Amino acid sequence: MFLARIDGTLTSTAKHATLEACRFLLGQRLDADGQASGEPIVLLDRLGARHGSTVLVSTDGDIARKWLGNTAPARLIVVGIVDQVYTG
Amino acid sequence: MVRGRVVLNNAVESIRGTTLLLVEPVTADNLAARNGAGGGKTLVVADRLSPHEGQMVGFVEGREAANAYWPGNVPVDAYCALIVENYDFQPPNGPETQK
Repeated sequence: MFLARIDGTLTSTAKHATLEACRFLLGQRLDADGQASGEPIVLLDRLGARHGSTVLVSTDGDIARKWLGNTAPARLIVVGIVDQVYTG
Repeated sequence: MVRGRVVLNNAVESIRGTTLLLVEPVTADNLAARNGAGGGKTLVVADRLSPHEGQMVGFVEGREAANAYWPGNVPVDAYCALIVENYDFQPPNGPETQK
C-alpha cells in the first residue's frame, strides 16, 4: 500500500464494461516527505476522496473483483482517506 | 498515450488473437501541460477497446490485467481498461515543482 494525493478526476466513455459505474480519480504517489513521485495514476474510489485529499491506496485488485466482478481490470483502489501522517 | 500496435508472428498459444498496443505513460508535467507527450517508459498492453494512435488510455498493470480474460488464462500483465475522454489535473504547486 502507499499514500497518494488526489490531483484531479478523469472521465471515460469507452471502457471495460465492469468499470461503467466507477468514479476515477487522478493521483500522485507520495514519498515520506510528502513529495509527489512517479507518473500520475488512475484510482478507483468509493469513499468520496476530494481534490487535495491524501489517500491510502491498495494494489490488491481483490477488492475490485468483489465490487465489480471477476473480470474487472482494476488494481489501484482507494481504501482509506488519510487524516494525519506522522513522520520522525 | 497510444503510440502504436504490436503484431506477433509466432506466439504462445494462449496469447494468440490478443490485440496489443504500444503505450507510453504520461508524466505529471506532460499531463498538466496537455501537450500530447508521454515521457514514461514504453510498455505493451493487451486491448479490446481499439483506441487510435495519440489517444490517452488508462491501463492496469499486474495480475489484474488478466482478469479481463477470466475464466480464460491469457498471459498478459497489462491491459487497456479505458479510453480517456477528459480529465482535470491540478497538482498543488504546479508541475514544475513535481519530482
